[in-house]
This record gives sequence, C-alpha cells and structure tokens, in this order.
Amino acid sequence: MTQLFFTILICLSITFNVFAQDEFDAMDDEWNMDGWEEEESKDYSINGFLEVAAGIRLSKDSVISTDKTLADLRLQFQYDYQFDASELSFTADTYYDGVQDQTRAQIREAAWQSNLGFAGDWGSKFDVKLGQQVLTWGTGDYVFLNDLFPKDYQSFFSGRDDEYLKAPSLSAKLSGYFDLVNIDLVITPSFTPDVYINGDYFSFFSPLAGQQIAPRFDVSSSLKPSSPEYAVRLYKSIGATEYAGYFYNGYFKTPSSITEAFEPTFSKLKVYGASVRSTLGVGLFNAEFAYYDSVDDSNGTNPYVPNSQSRWLIGYEQELVKNLTGSMQWYLEHTHDHAALIDHSFAPEYEVAQNRVWFTQRLMYRAMQQTLTINAFNFYSTTDNDGYLKLSASYSPVDTWQLTAGANIFYGEEGHTFFGQFEDATNIFARFRYFY
Amino acid sequence: MKNKLSKWLMVASVFASFGSFPQVMAQESLDINALVTQSEKAAYYSGKDGRSDARMMIVDAQGRKQMRQFTILRRDVADNGDQQMMVFFSRPSDVKDTVFRVEKRTDINTEDDRWLYLPALDLVKRISSGDKRTSFVGSHFYYEDVSGRATSEDSFTLKQETDKSYVLKAIPKLPETVEFDYYLVTIDKATSLPVLIDFFKGESDNYRRVEAVKVEDIQGYPTVVRSKVSDLQSGGYTLMEFRNISYDISLPDDVFTERSLRNPPRQWLK
Repeated sequence: MTQLFFTILICLSITFNVFAQDEFDAMDDEWNMDGWEEEESKDYSINGFLEVAAGIRLSKDSVISTDKTLADLRLQFQYDYQFDASELSFTADTYYDGVQDQTRAQIREAAWQSNLGFAGDWGSKFDVKLGQQVLTWGTGDYVFLNDLFPKDYQSFFSGRDDEYLKAPSLSAKLSGYFDLVNIDLVITPSFTPDVYINGDYFSFFSPLAGQQIAPRFDVSSSLKPSSPEYAVRLYKSIGATEYAGYFYNGYFKTPSSITEAFEPTFSKLKVYGASVRSTLGVGLFNAEFAYYDSVDDSNGTNPYVPNSQSRWLIGYEQELVKNLTGSMQWYLEHTHDHAALIDHSFAPEYEVAQNRVWFTQRLMYRAMQQTLTINAFNFYSTTDNDGYLKLSASYSPVDTWQLTAGANIFYGEEGHTFFGQFEDATNIFARFRYFY
Repeated sequence: MKNKLSKWLMVASVFASFGSFPQVMAQESLDINALVTQSEKAAYYSGKDGRSDARMMIVDAQGRKQMRQFTILRRDVADNGDQQMMVFFSRPSDVKDTVFRVEKRTDINTEDDRWLYLPALDLVKRISSGDKRTSFVGSHFYYEDVSGRATSEDSFTLKQETDKSYVLKAIPKLPETVEFDYYLVTIDKATSLPVLIDFFKGESDNYRRVEAVKVEDIQGYPTVVRSKVSDLQSGGYTLMEFRNISYDISLPDDVFTERSLRNPPRQWLK
C-alpha cells in the first residue's frame, strides 16, 4: 500500500515538474507573463499539496509498542469558487496514517461565506460563514485562553504543520461591523472537542492509576454533550490598540471530568475574558484574561469535575537583530477553591499547584532570502519544573516544495506534571511537501 | 507558509517600486527639497487611492525561480503622508488567500502597523516593526524599496543634470542602520519618477540596482509598470510587473479593516 502511494507520488512529482518548468520557460522572455489575464478571469481555483512526513520517539515508551510518532502520506485538495458576492471554499485532507495503520480523511473547510448586503443596507454590515471551518481568535502564541475552538494536540506534539494545531468544526459564524464595536457570534450545533492525547500516539499520566497509561480511549457517545457551543467576541481598535471581550458557553474541550463510574466525560464550562494588543516601543505587547467558570463545580468540592480558574497572559515580541525575532510570554493559571480541591481529590498528591506559571520564549530566524526559516519555541513552567521545546527548520527555495525537520522535546522533574508526563513522547520529525 | 510571509512585508505603495526620496538640502538654483518631494509624490501617491494586480518573479543566483502574485489596494490619508494598504495574495498556492494589512506612518517616531492573515489557521497575526532593509516577500526588493524610505534619513546633493534627468547622491544620516554607504538616484525630468537607483559600498562598489523598466501613463499619472531589482554581486534579481491599474476609485473606509482580512472585498479585487 505504502509503496503504491510512493509510486504515485513520484509520478505526480515528475508531471508537476514538467508543468512548472514550462510555465517558467514562458517567462524566460523576461517579461512575458503569459497566462496571467486568463488565470484572473477564472471563477474557481484548485490548489493543494502532497506530503510525506515521518517522526520517531527518541526513547522507549513502556506502554506504547511503536517508536513511530508520525508517518503520514497526505494529499490536500483545495477548491474555491467565487460567486459575485460570496465564496465557496472546500479543503479536504486524505491521508494514510502509518502510526495507526489507517487511511483517514478530514474536511478542514467546506463553507459558504458571504456579505448580507442582499438583505438591504442593514445587512451590508454583516458577514456570515456557514459550514465546516477553522476558527481562531485571541492574542496568545501557542497559548489559548479565550479561543475555545478545537485544537489538535496529537498533531501538535507529533510535528505536523502548525495549521493542524487548529481542528475544524461545523459552525455558523455571524460577524457584524459597527462604529461602536464589531461582533462575532459563533454557534457550533454539535459540541466539537479537542483532539486530545488519548494514548493513540502518546501515553499520559493517570492520577487515578498513579502511572503512565495509553488506553486509546474515546468518550462514549452517551457521555458526549448534546447542547450547542456558543462563542462571542466583541472587538474594537482605537488607534494602534486592539481591545476585545469574549464569552463562551459550552464544555471543557478535553474530557477532564469523570462520571461516578470513572468514565471520562466533558463538563459544562462558561468563559468570560478580555484582551488588549498594541505596539510598545519597537515591539508588540499583548495581555489577555479569562475566567473559566466550571458550572458543575462552583465551590470546588466536586472531585469528578475540574475547579474554576482564572488565567492571565502577558506577552511581548520584537525584532532583535535583522531577520531574528524574539518573543516572550508569561502565563498564570490560578485554580479557585484550591483547598477544597485538595480536600476532596482522589489523588491530592498529583493535583496542580494553586498558581501554575509558564514562561514561553520564541526565536524565529529567517535566512537565505527567506527560503530558510528556523523556529525555536520553549514552554517552561517554574512551578512544575517541566517544559516543552519545539524546534523546526523549514527550507523552500522554490514555489513547488518545502522540506521541514524538527524536534518536540518534553522534559520535567516529575512524571505527573503537564509536560513532564510526555517525556517519553520526545520525538524528531521530517516532512516533505510538494505543492501543485 | 508563515515562514515565507510573516516578514515579507509590506508592500506598499504600490504602484511604485522605488526607494524614496527624502530629504533635501536646498542647493544653488535647484530646489532639491521640492524635487525630492515631487518625486516621492509621483512614485507613491498617484491619485487619492488605487488598485493594481502585481506579479513578481524572483530569480536566485542559481537561476531558480519563484512567483508571487497579489492584488494591492491603496488609499492615501494625505499626499506625501500616511497611507493604508491591503495586499491580497493569490500565488503561490501555499500563500493563497493570505492578506497583509498595513497602516503606513510617515512620522519618523511612529512605526507602521502591520497585520498578516493566515487563512489555514484563521489567524490574524500582528507583526512587529522590524528592519526595513530586509527582503520583501522573499524577493530582492526590500520593504523599504517598495514602501518608501523615510524622507529624513538621507542627505541629498545634485551630482549631475542632463536634458532628461537629475542624478542625486544620497548619503545616509545614520550609516550604521543601513548596508550601503551611499546611493545615486536618477529622476526623470518629464515624469518626476525615480528611474534608476544604484547602491554603493565604499566609493565604487555598486552592489545593488533598482530600475524602472517600463513607465506608462495611467489616467494621466506616469506609472512604473515594470521594475527590476538586481543583486549585482550574486546575479540574482526580481522582476515586478503591475497590471489592471486604476486610480481614484473611491475605496470605502471599511476596505482597510480587519473585516477585509477574513472576507476580502471582492468587487475591488476583480
């Protein structure tokens, strides 16, 4: 099977190379950019890529049998169609996942986006986007407070491209634009959780078992929430400063609750937050706050449900020298009713500290006329003494291909902390992407 | 994708592709100040607003080629002053639907505001200001070649005058902030456009050249429609061509907002 895919890949590569070369030959009469007019008059476009990706664990994981952490052969197909006043977008990934030995498909986007101007002057102040889509807001870099849209941590930890950190959801988004304030309202009729670490690729620490496990669990459908998720953002720019307020009504995005029969489930969550982002000197400053109201455990005494938390983020970014940008973030997660949490916990020795702190650092360097980009991102928790270093280098000297290699390095003093539990997930990876 | 783009910055004033012409020192009978201001206006501020399709071909020292294709919308807040710009990328495929938004500030103490929209993540990323003499979207053009070098950064003297043009010599006031020691800019008398800029290291090492290859009259505004920048040391170069240019099209305010990042204003992009 795999061999077949490779054969197809090679054939396609050759074909695309020929096309690409022809196109540039046409331009060799330097300014002869034939085909431009014709291309612009088209109402649709087709794009995509083929990608081969592989990654391996650097140490043994005693509860997972394979050393493979990434083994994708992926085809992304993107089709967009422009109507006079609206657009249809479709992006689908089909891939063979060699870690799970499964062929999978993911529709990342299948959405219709339009202005509501056809409904009169009032309607022209609104845009809608309906269907499968990826959604993002908030000010953090790899740290999300008010963005409760689904994330895919399996992809993030295994070294897939950053775009896969965001998972799609079937949602309706209504955006309104007014002098006073702009508003986004997102309704996701069927609760869409994160793609959380469940033992498929990486094992995790179970406080109840007191050890590392890889149960490859899924939340049973009877325990999945049936109510919709609602997310609201109000935002406005004043001068160079952007202000936003957020509200979310839904559920914890990972199964951090358990039933009385000790089955994993999602409990109710409301989030209230705000953020600000602006220039500061030669750099950028951002700050964000979110209050996580754990509706089913309002006084922190329920050991089956997480406590409420207040989360704070402050960040700063600037160019350090030519082509080198650095940024830092400070993140605080304060657990409310911490004494009650410890008093009622089934495993108090493994509960988080009342105030958990992360520092993150990013360095990004571009070289060789921006064909080479090197990124280093480090999470470090001063309270848990653990962290996660994410390294990658990406090289793309032409439009048709990109080669990326990197590492995901988890470290920690103790095996039960947030990053420390993933020490055996530490991996290196490489990806080759061919655009068509 | 972020890679290629994040720092690419800013396009800018679009319909022109050249460095700016700064400042001035009155000299003899010729008013260099007025000349430089006039040239800057001709190069960057034609009409109150405008649109153009643009295409770049980047050729590296080994002959490898890359393409960039985008549409630019521009609006002037004031002539020779602040500008708003939106750049919508359509090629190559890994940057399709990526959008740049720029609020260009001419006040030397205020940095430009820049945003980048990454469609695969639905992410509006704000970009910190940086060294303006770094590659614009991976090309041999610097951001500053495209957006205009601040008018107060160089001292100009008249080097030569012919029937058709003036040649000015520009010396940076803060030489530690740039890689050149001086540049020579040729300003066409008929159009006031800068048509050739040669950058020098030392007295005679001409390592870089920016040139207007073709100028057309668009609605009465002389417009550079083809330009080329060459790395004379490596042999690499970038060609940039503008098409479907129109000026004074009354672009509304809300085109230049976050709304256009996620939902591009299609009527202005066709």
